[in-house]
Amino acid sequence: MEFKEKLISSYLAFEEDLDLLDSVHQTRAKALRVFEKKGFPTKKDESWKYTSLNALVNADYALFPRSEASIELKDVKKYFLYDTDTYKVIFIDGVYSPFLSNTTHDGLDVCLMSAALTKPKYRNLINTYFNKIASLEESLTALNTSYSKEGAFVYIPKKTVAEKPIEIIHFASGEEHSLWLQPRNLIVVDKNSQVQIIERHQSLKEHPVVTNSVTEVYVHEEAFVDYYKLQNDLTSASLIDNTYIQQAKNSHASVHTFSLGGKLVRNNLRYYHTGQRILSTLKGVTILEGKQHVDHSTMVHHSHPNCESHQDYKGIFSERSEGVFNGQILVDKIAQKTNAFQQNNNVLLDDKATVNSKPQLEIYADDVKCSHGCTIGQMDEEALFYLRSRGIPKKEAKALMTYAFANNVLESVQLPSLKKRINGQIARKLGVNLGFEL
Amino acid sequence: MAYTEEELKKELETKEYEYGFYTDIESDTFPVGLNEDIIRKISGKKGEPEWMTEWRLDAFSSFKKMVEPDWSNVKYKKPDLQKISYYSAPKQKPKYNSLEEVDPELLKTFDKLGISIDEQKKLSGVAVDIVMDSVSVATTFRDTLAEKGIIFCSISEAIQKHPELVKKYIGTVIPPRDNYYSALNSAVFTDGSFCYIPKGVRCPMELSTYFRINQAGTGQFERTLVIADEQSYVSYLEGCTAPSRDENQLHAAVVELIALDDAEIKYSTVQNWFPGDKNGKGGVFNFVTKRGLCHDRAKISWTQVETGSAVTWKYPSCVLKGDNSIGEFYSIAVTNNFQQADTGTKMVHLGKNTRSTIISKGISAGKSQNSYRGLVKVGSRAKNARNFSQCDSLLMGNNCGAHTFPYIEAKNNSAQVEHEATTSKIGEDQIFYCNQRGIDTEKAIALIVNGFSKEVLNKLPMEFAVEAQKLLEISLEGSVG
Amino acid sequence: MLTIENLHAEVEGRAILNGIDLNVKAGEVHAIMGPNGSGKSTLSSVIAGNEDYDVTQGKILLKEKDLSGLDPEERAHLGIFLSFQYPVEIPGVTVTNFIKTAINANRKAQGLSDLGASELLKKIREKSTLLDIDSKFLSRSLNEGFSGGEKKRNEIFQMAMLEPTLAILDETDSGLDIDALKIVANGVNKFKAKENAVVVITHYQRLLEYIVPDFVHVLFGGKIVKSGTKELAHELEAKGYDWIKELA
Repeated sequence: MEFKEKLISSYLAFEEDLDLLDSVHQTRAKALRVFEKKGFPTKKDESWKYTSLNALVNADYALFPRSEASIELKDVKKYFLYDTDTYKVIFIDGVYSPFLSNTTHDGLDVCLMSAALTKPKYRNLINTYFNKIASLEESLTALNTSYSKEGAFVYIPKKTVAEKPIEIIHFASGEEHSLWLQPRNLIVVDKNSQVQIIERHQSLKEHPVVTNSVTEVYVHEEAFVDYYKLQNDLTSASLIDNTYIQQAKNSHASVHTFSLGGKLVRNNLRYYHTGQRILSTLKGVTILEGKQHVDHSTMVHHSHPNCESHQDYKGIFSERSEGVFNGQILVDKIAQKTNAFQQNNNVLLDDKATVNSKPQLEIYADDVKCSHGCTIGQMDEEALFYLRSRGIPKKEAKALMTYAFANNVLESVQLPSLKKRINGQIARKLGVNLGFEL
Repeated sequence: MAYTEEELKKELETKEYEYGFYTDIESDTFPVGLNEDIIRKISGKKGEPEWMTEWRLDAFSSFKKMVEPDWSNVKYKKPDLQKISYYSAPKQKPKYNSLEEVDPELLKTFDKLGISIDEQKKLSGVAVDIVMDSVSVATTFRDTLAEKGIIFCSISEAIQKHPELVKKYIGTVIPPRDNYYSALNSAVFTDGSFCYIPKGVRCPMELSTYFRINQAGTGQFERTLVIADEQSYVSYLEGCTAPSRDENQLHAAVVELIALDDAEIKYSTVQNWFPGDKNGKGGVFNFVTKRGLCHDRAKISWTQVETGSAVTWKYPSCVLKGDNSIGEFYSIAVTNNFQQADTGTKMVHLGKNTRSTIISKGISAGKSQNSYRGLVKVGSRAKNARNFSQCDSLLMGNNCGAHTFPYIEAKNNSAQVEHEATTSKIGEDQIFYCNQRGIDTEKAIALIVNGFSKEVLNKLPMEFAVEAQKLLEISLEGSVG
Repeated sequence: MLTIENLHAEVEGRAILNGIDLNVKAGEVHAIMGPNGSGKSTLSSVIAGNEDYDVTQGKILLKEKDLSGLDPEERAHLGIFLSFQYPVEIPGVTVTNFIKTAINANRKAQGLSDLGASELLKKIREKSTLLDIDSKFLSRSLNEGFSGGEKKRNEIFQMAMLEPTLAILDETDSGLDIDALKIVANGVNKFKAKENAVVVITHYQRLLEYIVPDFVHVLFGGKIVKSGTKELAHELEAKGYDWIKELA
């Protein structure tokens, strides 16, 4: 665990230009102690039973990139939602890139976490929201908190509909031999407001990168947050994404996670409720190959009556890839009339592919409708034959069926250009050109 | 006034444990404590051969290095293993030649349990082995079985008379060091049942064992070993009761099943250990390891109705090692008052074309917690493995919990695994509908619960199914309707 | 047989029935008609003793016995049968098992011993033939996956088995095609006798072609606003319910 030692011993360097007496820094210092005590999770931890971080954390990484790397827009344009006008908060090796970004303070704030953490005008927001729902106990979250400094900050005031989607993209330039990134995002959506967010982590060179990201999302009464996570990174890059969402009454928060690439991806997605009639949506499509590994760990904590949650995760695994689904529905005694559904369907395409699924229900209230289902299987050979007998080549037929399999997750994507993009990515991944949009 | 939720709850709480009597039989009980001497004494008392004593001591040395597991979803005060007596036998002649020789008090006990040995002998043709405080006291129907070459006796007797079979199979499915309680059991087990069905033989009757804890301060550590040789068939029943006592009693059994090529074993359990009183005082800690090994084309089917025990921790499992082998698990677990159950199964698919089915019905009432925990594992060589799992929970009242923790691991692309789970409650409209037809609320609940559990009840042998239905009603109601 | 006096009832504080008076004698068939929301189903639920409804005034008497304070099952034991508009599903409980439980519960209340298996079987055979019920149907789970017609036929089958003194048929015709309607009506007509009575609750006149009522009552706003003979049903069919609203 040498890297753990490095993280702790490098902390002095990180602290150098920070106000050590500041309350935010107190939070950071406390979190570092949690991480120091707990260290990286191992397979002995029940929630990490199927995902090992050993290989990742037994290596060395640069914590502070040496120089400000610059990249040309033309090289990275394809990673943007270029045919749609968006706000953009872009980072290169963890450093904000004003050149690539398009932030705003006009009616809403789409800007930098570093600004929010230091400027007096954001002090109240930071005091109210920073590190309030992120776990204080979970060691990776604590590690992120201890190094939290930069990331995206979004504040949507009451009765405001963000007219443009917000893109948050973290590029790794590859200038460093290997890099450890810890972005920290805070998103606050006030009453009756709406926003769409697209988050992406992208390496530009085949150098090892590990991103340990934490995002806190606060969804106030009657608000709607529509969040998309695009994970299609190089196989040298790994991501541990920790997203914490708190919803107030009558709100809706939806997170779609598309895991199509990367070396090792772990998505920790946690939902908490503070009122009634809340809708929580968690959907995901995972398509892996090679030796990729993706672990979805979800938790919806139903602590108030009359709320609803829907989880739907589809996975398609080929070659030696591994998929993990670790979903938890927790219904408190008080949370009567809860409707909670969880579905996890997987297709194994190759002999060496693996799926480990653990859909859990923990229910303490009696008047609830809760169910979960999990399947592991293959392509329906009969349907495949049917398509082929109509003249569709095997590869296309398989691709078509893969689409069909993932479709009910895709069809709830609200942004047409994003949907088109994901369709294209899936087609490329399957190596086919369907010649039509689905 | 009509039957309110309140009244129903009260009634549920005041239900008495029907089997909570204590039989006054003189017992030969060891002093409390756990050490090598005690183990040697147990082994000596039973006149065991040297290899068996060594086997026990070996298990004990593994046990000493282990810690009590705490991953299950149950909370309890860990039993003090030094305060338990590891040997308690009814003080009578060491063995009975016929039922006439059995202590009449003991026979009365069995009558109260609803096991009239005589009657069963005559009417239903069930061969019964009865284990009281860990010692087998009576085995019926031996001669009939012997004609077919079937061995059905206590494990102590088997160690004496069939050492080659015991030596060959004991601990092969559940090695002593498998877990904390299996290690403990391997070291201190005092008795249990042994059964061997020879090649090609279909056992003509149900074989049955009744377990009863009687003495205070004793633990029950029975060991069951069932071997079905090639192309044989056996249906095995197991029933359990204990008197009501303030303190918790420990029951840590080990059951090993071996189904050789083309053999079939059906193993049914109706577990009704004392669940503790309505305040959660007393009751049996039921920490059991049950596992079966299937060779080619063999089939093992576990059926269980779990209504008793304060804490249950039990996962009857199948290792589907042989090609085309089949594993089944049908379970009803009822918890009431302060009971806690963490039960389920493991289906380990190793061979090709292996199939498994899991049907689990959990019913929670009172302040109880009821968890299903299961593992379906498909190994990389298990081509065309199939599993279907269904876990349904029924909640009664708002002070209990129902939980589902399935683990599904598939390493083979030809595997098909399906898991479904639901949670529901008894609808007020269902109760009203029954009421309108003249059926009172208590009976209506029994009817609905029986309906909910039907897929599993149907899997039990006839005479057990009736008993199980009755047990469900007793467990959930004020009286039998 | 059935006497209802000035019956007022409410659900969750909302008044639904506002003073109902009704007198049904043995051997009679009464039809209660009315537009949606007039209180028809509430009336049947209140008679059967559904606790979701509070009786605030008035009383219901069956054979001079006041039903107030009696549980639904006690009312059933006295001979009240309600054919549900939406029969409830009970998974895993077969039709046979259910009817056996119900019959024996009623017999027990009357101080009778359980009905023997062969007698029960004979009775089931007789009544199921009458209602054109397949024996396979009897081994299915109660109402689970039943079609609308099967559910209603099953209700009438239970009525025939339980032989109540007062049968209330709540919208038994809804969801039935004409053949099923005839079978159900036939079942009811066979059941009709001088020592029992039938109350048919319906929105349409259609069913009354087959089960001919002695009296027709129109319920509106939780009150009986008009009573008459079967011609009244024809009148309602022809004119609709609007003119009734003016009477109220």
